[in-house]
Amino acid sequence: MENQPRNRISRKGLTVWRLYGTIQTTIFTLMMVGAGVLTYFLDGPAWLYGVFGGILLVYGFLFIYLFPKIRWQRWRYEVREQEIELQHGLFIVKRTLVPMVRVQHVDTEQGPILRKYDLAEISISTAATTHIIPALVTAEADDLRRRISVLARVAEDDV
Amino acid sequence: MSDERYKLHPVSAFINFVKGLKELIIPFLVIFGVNIFREGGISGMFTGGWVGMLPLIIGGVVLIILLVAGIIKWKRFVYWFEDGELRIEYGLIIKKKRYIPFDRIQSLNYTEGIFHRPLGLVKVKVETAGSGKIGEAEAELTAIPRIDADRIEKKMEEAKRGVQPVDEAAVENGIQEEVPMPKKPIRKIYRMNMKELLVLATTSGGIGVVVSAVAVFLSQFAELIPYDAIYEEVMLFLRFGYFIIAFLVFFGLLIAWLISVLLTLIANYQFTIQRDEDHIYISRGLLEKKKVSVPFKRIQGIKITQNPLRELFGYATVTVESAGGSVGDKEEKIRLFPLAKTKDIVPILEDLFPDMDWSPEMVGAPKRSVHFYYRLDLLWMVPVLGAISYLFYPYGLFSLIVIPFIVLIGIWQHRTAGYALGDKQITMVFRGISKHTFYMMKKRVQAVEVSQSVFQRRKGIASIQATIKSGMLGATARVEHMEKEDASNILAWYEPSNRKKEAKEKGRPEFSG
Repeated sequence: MENQPRNRISRKGLTVWRLYGTIQTTIFTLMMVGAGVLTYFLDGPAWLYGVFGGILLVYGFLFIYLFPKIRWQRWRYEVREQEIELQHGLFIVKRTLVPMVRVQHVDTEQGPILRKYDLAEISISTAATTHIIPALVTAEADDLRRRISVLARVAEDDV
Repeated sequence: MSDERYKLHPVSAFINFVKGLKELIIPFLVIFGVNIFREGGISGMFTGGWVGMLPLIIGGVVLIILLVAGIIKWKRFVYWFEDGELRIEYGLIIKKKRYIPFDRIQSLNYTEGIFHRPLGLVKVKVETAGSGKIGEAEAELTAIPRIDADRIEKKMEEAKRGVQPVDEAAVENGIQEEVPMPKKPIRKIYRMNMKELLVLATTSGGIGVVVSAVAVFLSQFAELIPYDAIYEEVMLFLRFGYFIIAFLVFFGLLIAWLISVLLTLIANYQFTIQRDEDHIYISRGLLEKKKVSVPFKRIQGIKITQNPLRELFGYATVTVESAGGSVGDKEEKIRLFPLAKTKDIVPILEDLFPDMDWSPEMVGAPKRSVHFYYRLDLLWMVPVLGAISYLFYPYGLFSLIVIPFIVLIGIWQHRTAGYALGDKQITMVFRGISKHTFYMMKKRVQAVEVSQSVFQRRKGIASIQATIKSGMLGATARVEHMEKEDASNILAWYEPSNRKKEAKEKGRPEFSG
C-alpha cells in the first residue's frame, strides 16, 4: 500500500506512551516483588528470583522502550478535503479510510497526563464506527476538530 | 387536523398487568420456593398464623398494585394528531408527553399477540431513526383497534405528502422519493411455502437453545435430585445395557428437537414479504402475528448466510442490515428470507433492489495466502494438543485428528473468500463455518480498513474490512488474506477524492517504520 498518510502524531506522544509504559511496569514490578516474597516464604528455589527479574527486564524493555517506539513510528494520519486516513498498529498495521461525508461528530479528550504535556486525543465518529488519533498537540487537535466539523458539514448525504 | 384524543383499548390494562406479572415471576418463585423448605412446607404458611401468611399477603398486595398500575397506565394514556405530529401523553405522577413528527417516523410495526387477535387489535410500535438519543423518540401503543392503526398510517401518509419535507432524509433518496405517488399499491412478493418452512424448522439451530435450556433447568434443581439413589438405579440400568441409555438420550434429544421445530414453525408461519413504493413489509407468525416494515432508504446492506448443510442443498438465509430502530430489540437484524432456495432468492432481490448486482464476478484470494487461514489456529493449538496427548497418553493422541480438520476448514475458507467491486457496490464473501455474502452500496459504507500483519506484509497480502451501520451499531464484513493490490484497489475505489488512482502507478514505498 503506497502513499502513507502524511502527518505524524506529536513527538511528545511518544513521551506520554513511555510514561504509561513506566506506570504499567511499576505495577508489574509490584507483582513480581509479590511473587518474590511468596517464593521466599514458601522456600522456592533461588533461580526463581532470576526468572522474575528477567521477566521484569523484558517487560520493561518492551513496554517502555520498544512498543511505544514502533507505535509512534507507525502512527500516521491525514485529514484531506474529502476523507480522513489513518494508519496505526503494532504487530498488525491497520489502514483506515473514512470519507468526510460519513463523519457524524468529532470529540477531543484530555486526561491529566495528556494535559500536562499539552496533548489531546481526538475521536472521530461515524454512524457505525469510532476512530481515535491518540496524541495531538492541543492546538492542533482543536484546529483539526474545527476543520473536520466544517468539512463534514459540507455534504450531509445519506445516513 | 383534528384534536380528537384517542385512547387505547381497555384490554391494554390487562396486557400491562400480565406484562408486569411476567417480570415478577422470578421474585415470586423465590419467595414461595424458599417457603417450601421451611418447616411445614407450603401448608406451614397457613398454619403459622399471621407471620406465616406474610409472603402470601405481600404477594397479594403486589398483585393488586400491579393490576391497579395496569389500569392507571391505560387510563392515563392518550394519543392524538396535531401539527403533523403524533402526540402521546401518559403517566400518573410524572406526566410524560412525547411528540413525534410524522416525517421522523421510520416505520410502524404491528404485533398481534394472543390477547389481541380475538378482539381484532394490534400492538403498534412507532420507530424513528432516533440515533444518538437512545430509545428516545419511540413509542408503543399497547393495543388499539385495527382501524385506529390504519388511521395513524393514513395521517402519517397525509402529513408526509401534504407538507413536502425539506429534510435530508428526502434528499438522500432522490430517485425514489422524487415523485410522491398519490396511492401506493402494496404487492405481494413472496410467501414462504410449507416445504421451505419445514426445511427451516428442521435445520435451524434452535435445538441448541432448547438443549441448553433443559441443561440450565436441570442444573438449577441439581441439589434436589437425589444423585445417590439415581446412581444405584443407573448401575442397575447399566446391566440392562447401554442400548437403553443411548435410546433415552436419543429420545430426549429428539423431543428437544421437536420442540424447537414446533417453535420455529409457529414463529415463521405464513412468512410473507410485501412491498410498496418505499417500504418492505414482512409479516409472520401463527399465535402472535408480527408485521415489520422496513423503509428502503434505511437499508444499509444485505447479507446472505449459508451454513454448510444448507449450502449443500442450495438453501440460504437473507438478512437486511438496517439503520436505526429501537435499542435493545434483539430482532435488529431483520430476516428477509428465513430460508429459501438460492435460485429463488436472486430474482426477488433483483426485484426489490434493482440497482444492485446480485451475482457479481468475485475476485478470490491468492494461492499463496492459503496457509494463513489455518496457521495461526494450528499455532495456538500445538501446546493444547501436546498437553492432551501427553496427559492422556496414548488415547490423547486421538486429539491430533483435529489438525486435518482445521487445515481443511482453512482451505475451505480460502476457497470461499472473495470480493467484487462494482461502480456503486462492494460485495464481500467470506466463511467462518457458514458462508456469508455481504452486499453493500458504496454510499452506505462507513469506513474501510486494511490491515497487514508482519507476516502478511512479507508475502504481500492484506486483510480488508468494510463497516456499515446496522441497528444502532455497525456490521462488519471482512475478507482475510487478499492480494495487496486488491486492498489498494478497494481503498482507491472507496476514496472520495480518488487521489490514489493517479498516485498508484508511482508505487512509492509502503509502510516504512
